[in-house]
Parts: sequence; structure tokens; C-alpha cells
Amino acid sequence: MMPTASSRLLIPILVLASIVAVLASSAIGSVTLSWEEWLAAIGNPAGEHGELLWGLRLPRALAAWTIGALLSLSGCLMQVLLRNPLADPYILGVSGGAAFATLLGISAGIAVAFMPVLALAGSLLSIVLVFGLARGEGPWSTTRLLLTGVVTASGWAALISLVLALGSDNSLRGMLFWLIGDLAYAKSPPWVLLALAIIFVVCLGMARSLNVLAMGETTARLLGEPTRRLLWTVYLLASVLTAAAVSVAGNIGFVGLIVPHLMRMLVGSDHRRLLPAATLFGGLFLVVSDTVARTLLAPRQLPVGVITALLGVPLFLLLLNRARLKQ
Amino acid sequence: MTTLSCHQIGLSIAGLSIVKDFSLALEPGSFWGLLGSNGVGKTTLLKCLAGLGQPDRGQVKLDDQSVDALPRKAVAQKLGMLQQHTAYVFDSTVVQTALTGRHPHLGYWQMEGPADFERAQDALHAVDLTGFAERSVAGLSGGEARRLAFAALLVQDPAIMLLDEPTNHLDMRHQVQIMGLIRARTTGGNGAAIAALHDVNLAAAYCSHVVMLFGDGEWRAGTTKEMLSSASLERLYGCAVERLDGTDGARFYPAPNHH
Repeated sequence: MMPTASSRLLIPILVLASIVAVLASSAIGSVTLSWEEWLAAIGNPAGEHGELLWGLRLPRALAAWTIGALLSLSGCLMQVLLRNPLADPYILGVSGGAAFATLLGISAGIAVAFMPVLALAGSLLSIVLVFGLARGEGPWSTTRLLLTGVVTASGWAALISLVLALGSDNSLRGMLFWLIGDLAYAKSPPWVLLALAIIFVVCLGMARSLNVLAMGETTARLLGEPTRRLLWTVYLLASVLTAAAVSVAGNIGFVGLIVPHLMRMLVGSDHRRLLPAATLFGGLFLVVSDTVARTLLAPRQLPVGVITALLGVPLFLLLLNRARLKQ
Repeated sequence: MTTLSCHQIGLSIAGLSIVKDFSLALEPGSFWGLLGSNGVGKTTLLKCLAGLGQPDRGQVKLDDQSVDALPRKAVAQKLGMLQQHTAYVFDSTVVQTALTGRHPHLGYWQMEGPADFERAQDALHAVDLTGFAERSVAGLSGGEARRLAFAALLVQDPAIMLLDEPTNHLDMRHQVQIMGLIRARTTGGNGAAIAALHDVNLAAAYCSHVVMLFGDGEWRAGTTKEMLSSASLERLYGCAVERLDGTDGARFYPAPNHH
């Protein structure tokens, strides 16, 4: 069931495809550049299309890749943490805090530039809240974390509805786009890429521990894991990944749920292969989705969250069907 | 040489006493059968011995150190446990699952080497899962999954083995095969094992010692020969027991219940 030869090739293919996608995405849009125009613009940032390329499209494509990678990695961790294949990066309420803070900011008319800071503050607040409430004494309980997180998320959802209900009509559109997930204003601050790189390396080092954790907390303990510490580490890493992603691009759905599954079907559930594959494919997937979102109805731009679902659902169902036929 | 021992521990669950003043030493070379009726606390006792739950009083020691004080990794290098149930939420291959037994023996970034794969292949061979290596665990039968879990324990290769109903789901042949493998690991004097069992005759045939849990904190321990009798089993299970003496020692059967 694990095609080792093709899965060894998969990582280089995904790296290459990611680079090609980011570069191609920078040529495509409401103004599509020809090969010569694109080359000229790459070589000369001050030239005719230089500003478009270096100032807008490359940062946005890079941001899309980073966000997709963050969400997919976070999804992998959340699914192991909760031992639930239905878990996604938002299940424990991290994005709810971010959404509430951002929407409050939008309705108060705070400048767009401050939104990531607000979102980050909101999500960190939510992480600390869930962590504090679920921790307690006694043995770790996944159920307790799950319930605390889900209820906290519901609380945020209520507050979000309140802000939406009270918000002025002209701010509603911006709020809605943020909630669906939108990369229109996304730039990738260097700290987000750095956070991704560091957490990715840490997770890869823990990959074998994640494998035994996926078999259950007791099994992991019997195989030598200090599970309490491991579980809190995974929770915090996954939450920080999600917080970084939502602070830049809002609630982009579907990537963090579906990409881990897609990659599990391709490379199996060994996290030493799954984590790199999911991280790379998540980035690739979001760059492609965002390019489609920008061009489908150009010059109108769609929120990327719509496209991730529209692309992801058929892709997922197709692969699921193929996996069933193989068995 | 590793010994797992406890001295006069008390253990209870939800206010019900499982054992009072319980002392036991799993000396190298011994294979203990743990007998008792349903719900008497066999699993809880095994988990306590594995350091997964603390006794009310006293402590469990691995050689001269408390199990609680040792890092889990150090414990897992010497002590392994076969749980009563194993459920796989995420699919994996048979060989990857067997290889998880190497986890406590490998470092942070370390990958399994050829020697580890060889161990896994040997273990799979020992439990009749040769040729299953690349199969998905989701497609295994109950008995195959049980043998795979045991194979992972063999790959872990601990000096002390705790087994919670190791023969669950197994057909006759595989019951004696697994019991034989456990005994082979202990008779050389290199390891010790304790297995919760419901088949008294497997205990009679394979175990050197027997612990009986009667409920209410009462327990008795001794060599298999002195522990197993119609009278003690009738008291243990609360039903009439018949004894048959065969060429290979005594065997016990529940007397048919005619109401």
C-alpha cells in the first residue's frame, strides 16, 4: 500500500512544483505577462512590470504558499493530537479569537495594516484560554481538550455573529471576506516563514513520536513517550502555526483538513514522510487556488477560501474513490 | 537481568479494593499467570505494574528504582506491555506497526536501520505474519491484529513483559504458539512475564507461577502446581470445576450447569 519508490520521488516533485507554481502565479493575473515581459520584470524590479511582480504578485504567491504550508502542517498535528481524522487547524478555537479581534478592528475602522497584529493577539488569547482551562490536574484527557476547544470556538462564533449583526453595511463585505479567507492584502512577513521553518524542523524531529502518539496515548507511554509533555507541545505548535496563518489571511478553510488526508493516501501515515509531503503540497495547493481566485472572474477577485473548497472537494472525492478501488 | 517488584502495595479503583498488601517479584526466568473473574482488576493491576497508574500505597520498582521516578523511555527499554485492545485510527502497514517497538531504543532524529527491519521481519515470522509486511493494518482480522501487537512487543524486546489477555481472538494453534514464545523468552532466565488469562489450562501448561485475585483486595500467589486445584478455582470463579489428570499434568473444566 505504500509505493516507496514513487513517494521518494514525491518530495522533489513537490519542491519543484511549488517553485514553478509561485513563479507562474506571478505571471498570471488581470494583466498576464508574456515570457519575455516576465523575464524582463524579474531582471529589472524598477522596470515596466517590475513593481507588479516584485511588489504585488511574488509577495502574494509566497504568502499563499506559506499559509497553505502552515495550515497543512497544523492540520496534521491536530489530527494526531485529537486522534481524530476530522480535526482541522480551527477546531480548538484558535481562529475564532483571531476572527473576533479582526472583525472588531474592521468595525472600529482600524487601518488594514494593523489587522495581522489584532488577529495574532486574538488567536494567542484563545490559545492561552483553552490551554489554561483544559490543563488542570490529573491525567491528560483528549476529550477535555477537545470539548474545551470546541466550546471556546462556539463562544467566539457567537461573538463574531454579534459583531456582524451590529456592524455597518459597508464593513460587512470586508468582514465576510476575512471569514472565508482572503489573500488580497496578504504579504508574508518574514517571521511567519521563520516560524514555519522552525516548527517544521522541530516536528520532523518528533515525527516518530507522532507515529506512536497516533496509536494512542497509552501505547505512546508504553513505548517511552512522556505523553503529557508531548501532547502539550503538539497543541502549542499546532496552535502557533494556525495563529500565524489566520493572522495573515483569515479563515481559509479546507486546506488544513483535506491536505493531510490527501497525502496520507499517497505516502501513508508515517509522519517522517507525511509532514514534508503535506507541508509542500499545502503550499502548492494554496498558490494554485489563489491564482485561480485572482483570474477566474478577473478583474474581480474571489476569496481564496471559496476556491480551496471548490478545488478540494472533487479532488478529495476522486482520490478517496481510487483508494477504495485499490483495496 | 531486570526484576520488577512491588512490596505491600494497595490498589483500588473507584473505591473498590483490587489488592491489599500485595507483594510480588517478577524474577528473571518466571512466567506468571494472572487469574481472576471479570472485572476483578487484572488490567488495572497490570497497568499499575507498568507505571501507568499509581498504587494507593507503596511503589512498583524496576530493579531498585521506582517506576514513577524513571523517565518513560528508560522504563520502555526494559518493560513492555501488550494491551487488551489495540485500535488503529490511522492506517499503517504491518511492518511499520511492528517497527514501533524500536521507538524507545532510537534517538530523536534516528531512523530505523537494517538491524531494526531484521528484528521486525523475525518477529512477524515468529507470529506467522510472514508476507504481511506491506499489508494495511486496517485489513487484518482480529487474530492477525492481536499477533501483530504481540510482534511489536517482541520487536521492543523488553526484559519484563506484561500481557493483558495475550490469547484473545486467537485460534488454538496460535494460542499455544504465543504462549510458547512467551515461555521461551523466560525459561532461559533472561526475562520475566506476567499474563492475565482466562484459560486456566494455558496457565497450567505454560506458567511457572500463578497469582489469583479474589476481589475485595484478597489475593494469593505461588507456583502453578500449588495454586491450581479444583477447590481454589471453584472459589476463584464461583462455579463447579472438574479436574482431569492427563499425561501433561492436571487440566480443569467448568462442570456443566444443569438448571
